[in-house]
Amino acid sequence: MSVLEKVRPGRPATAVAREPRVTDEHGRRVRAGELVWRYLLLLAVLALTVGPFLWQLSTSLKGPTEDIYGSPPRFLPGHPTLHNYARVADTIPVWDYALNSLKVAAANVVTNCAGSALAGYALARLRYRGRRVTTLVFVLAMLVPVEGIVIAQFTTMRELGLNNTLIGVVLPGAIGAMNVLLMRNAFRNLPYEIEEAAYVDGANVWQRFLRVALPSVKGTLAVVAIFAFMGAWDDFLWPLIVLSDPSKFTLTIGLNYLHGTFANDERLVAAGTVIAVAPLIALFACLQRYFFRGVGEGAVKG
Amino acid sequence: MAAPLRIKRQLPFGPWLFAAPGLLVTGAFVLYPFGSTLANSFTDRRTLVPGHFVGLANFRELLHDEMFWTGLRNSVLYILGVVPALVVLPLLLALLVRKNIPGITFFRSVFYTPVVASIVVVGLIWVWLLDERGLVNSLLESVGIGRIGFLSDQWLLLLSAMAVTVWKGLGYYMIIYMAALANVPRELHEAAAVDGAGPVRRFLSVTVPAVRSTMVLVAALSSVAAFKVFSEVYLMAGPSGGPAGEDTTLVMLVQRTGTGLTGRVGYACALSVVVFAVTVVLMLLVLRADRREES
Amino acid sequence: MPMSRRALAAAVVALVLPLSACGSGGDDGGTTDASGKVEGDITFQTWNLRANFKSYFEDLIAGFEHKYPGTHVKWVDQPAEGYADKLGADAAGGTLPDVVNVSPDLVAPLARAGLVLDLDKAAAKYRPEYLDAAWSSHRVPGMNGTYAFPWYLNTGPLFYNKALFTKAGLDPDQPPRTYDELFTDALRMAEKSDGKVATLANVPTIEDFGRYGVPLMNEQGTGFAFNDPKGVELLTKYKALYDAKALDPQALTATGESSGKKFLTGAVAMNPGSALDLGNFKKNAPGLYRNIGITDQITSTGHVNMYVMGVMVNSRTRHTPAAVAFAHFVTDARNQMSFAKKVAIFPSTAGSLDDPYFTKEDGTDETRVRIAAAKSLKNAVNYTPVLFSEQMKTALRNEVAKALQGKESPQEALDNAVKAADRLLQQG
Repeated sequence: MSVLEKVRPGRPATAVAREPRVTDEHGRRVRAGELVWRYLLLLAVLALTVGPFLWQLSTSLKGPTEDIYGSPPRFLPGHPTLHNYARVADTIPVWDYALNSLKVAAANVVTNCAGSALAGYALARLRYRGRRVTTLVFVLAMLVPVEGIVIAQFTTMRELGLNNTLIGVVLPGAIGAMNVLLMRNAFRNLPYEIEEAAYVDGANVWQRFLRVALPSVKGTLAVVAIFAFMGAWDDFLWPLIVLSDPSKFTLTIGLNYLHGTFANDERLVAAGTVIAVAPLIALFACLQRYFFRGVGEGAVKG
Repeated sequence: MAAPLRIKRQLPFGPWLFAAPGLLVTGAFVLYPFGSTLANSFTDRRTLVPGHFVGLANFRELLHDEMFWTGLRNSVLYILGVVPALVVLPLLLALLVRKNIPGITFFRSVFYTPVVASIVVVGLIWVWLLDERGLVNSLLESVGIGRIGFLSDQWLLLLSAMAVTVWKGLGYYMIIYMAALANVPRELHEAAAVDGAGPVRRFLSVTVPAVRSTMVLVAALSSVAAFKVFSEVYLMAGPSGGPAGEDTTLVMLVQRTGTGLTGRVGYACALSVVVFAVTVVLMLLVLRADRREES
Repeated sequence: MPMSRRALAAAVVALVLPLSACGSGGDDGGTTDASGKVEGDITFQTWNLRANFKSYFEDLIAGFEHKYPGTHVKWVDQPAEGYADKLGADAAGGTLPDVVNVSPDLVAPLARAGLVLDLDKAAAKYRPEYLDAAWSSHRVPGMNGTYAFPWYLNTGPLFYNKALFTKAGLDPDQPPRTYDELFTDALRMAEKSDGKVATLANVPTIEDFGRYGVPLMNEQGTGFAFNDPKGVELLTKYKALYDAKALDPQALTATGESSGKKFLTGAVAMNPGSALDLGNFKKNAPGLYRNIGITDQITSTGHVNMYVMGVMVNSRTRHTPAAVAFAHFVTDARNQMSFAKKVAIFPSTAGSLDDPYFTKEDGTDETRVRIAAAKSLKNAVNYTPVLFSEQMKTALRNEVAKALQGKESPQEALDNAVKAADRLLQQG
């Protein structure tokens, strides 16, 4: 795959607000005029990307007497209330569902980070017969349309006796092919010299992996972690099929339930979506520095 | 993975142990189910009725199935509509967030939020926005354009779904471009600037060639995703795929024919096999185009 | 090659096989004999009832467990959307619950696959407790049994917006009752409101064809017949409504929820619903609630459509006596009656509809509506053909949409729909 070529680490993306002049990434000064149109454009894109979320938030804060269909629309709730959130919690055990989602997502992060780092390392660094075949296996797995095999997956899971368990929810995505390939690229981009020194010192393959290679790809690992968390937290079709016991539902299933039962109640549904999306945004906000560093390592390439 | 600490570097199956967990999961939950899907595509199996081998009958039926051609048309249209936008817009966005001006990290993270949100949430949000009484139509009406039935017209529905796909994908591909742009040597830009090239010419003659292979990659990733599109259209056009099912995509058709108590599992499996085959061909085409350009 | 792919494959198989062997071991348990001791753990699955009736079902289950010590009932509730998909996955995977809330069209494929206990064999003694029509509603053409206890019946009220009727110069107290009246009123409504207010939000379904007097299946029950002149007439009239915007332009993509929303916002004047909607109107559209009119379904045959819910017993349950006892308990006269008092549904047990609750006026609107509905229920018909599957519904819906858009003539569209449905029927 020729597109999977090497990428140099990006420069750390630090704000330079304290400096007397505004400069770009090469340390050159940015002209005031340019600065103005840049901010204008940034704000326009900002409105487009967060606008829909804010509108949802605003809808969720509007009380029952407030018109949500009016034209021209009212962006701010007249009398903001958390009443709709309380109603969500009354209707579905939203905190239990969030906990289930959290368990699934956390397990998915652990298995994906460990499994794809191991497999990625083998694909990138270890020499053995069948390496190309193994790589091909992961590439093909990435191309399989999930919606088409969901029933077959369910049958497999049932044969394993794991349907209607949270383990069953985690397993199919436990080590994503995409993540394995991401890790493979990250390991491939490391210079060989780093490991050679350890090799000469007599370190075995496990030690080289754990002490030398792994610490160098922390950024990519962060990317895999975020992808894994997002993937598990956001997944809908699979948990819907594999879980039948409502006490094991994840948040997206609960949300669908809410939507199915109270579709006409926009405020309630809006509150539900905010509950589903807020933790992810918070998590991403906390991890974004590592994430963008991982990106700089070329993690997403491939 | 017993006691991996004991692995000596000559130990021959060491590499397999590393790859084993990944292979096991992929094998058991992706490839094995896909294998049985492939096997089922030659049967007339239904949800509750075990099937018999019917040879290529499903694939022959497919050729005469009007809905299959509708699905193929929509999936191809989806590629044509979404891929150019996802190749170009995120690149422009990456250039925009590239300069380290104050607050830029904030903008970068925020531009990524649509990627983070679940597609179910995104679907609910946009259905509410594009509703006949939703925000977008309220705005359109208040500026005198009048309300538009985004969610009732066959083509507007498809366009709306594409817009949502682009909206959700912008941040993801922006990140890929940011990684690539980090590699463009700045000397190139400076040389071009000295030559008196304006920003547009610099973009076309320096930036684009430098990130060309990334553009190919983005085209590959986004076209595979676009061809397999399900959630956006399903959530916006509804399970039956818009008016008269005209917005059905191939994967929606797989889902609709194969599920439920009377699902035609065999036929749906044949459809998934076709989706898979087309995806592989798409990937190969893009990779070949890439190789040609490199040489 | 130190470790061949074959060895790896063998390892995988060794890991999977023992588990799968014990996983499928549960399939052969279960008997049709319901006469043993009522005991054991069973699972009961309902269809979107938890959100509104949690306490009712918790009490119901506690009552059963108290009556039969040694039993334990686990209650699961599934969302409305995707219920058939869920049943399909569970049935195919062998994880169907012991006692399941179904409707006649859902029970048919399950019964054909041998997954449903035949109650004529296992529970014939309970038959006299139910209305005859209700008991036989869960029969499956081509099979000899009855596959579910009848549970609640519903005609589903039709709501209309009195304010919109008045505005269009229609008598708000004389809502349309037959399709002909409906078409006249709807065209007038569209004309007076300049196409802004539609009367209907949904395209005609198979039940509409039934209530219009179209024969749905041929006399032998071996093929569909709704493409007869009467069916074409109905679709032609709907096309006229669609062209006049008396049928909402978004009807082609409407779902139950989107049409409900349109009614809520006053874009549509009439909408079928359930009693639950009243509470929703009160909360979300107080203005509408003051103007709400409730009437019976539109019908030209004199019979309204009756929706029947049933409770089936999984033929592979390990605790047949307990499962049958529980299914009966849920649907017995006393429990159906107390459920009916919680929400506007109607019991399917014999004599229950003669209860004063369904016959005696007390002056409130709610009671008036309830009594009227109970009366119309007595000669209601379940128009949905038991064998009309999800795929057939989609085929009909798509062809109807093509006719409304003018891409096909009503005759062509219905011919195609019948052809598609017949093909699916033969494959089934």
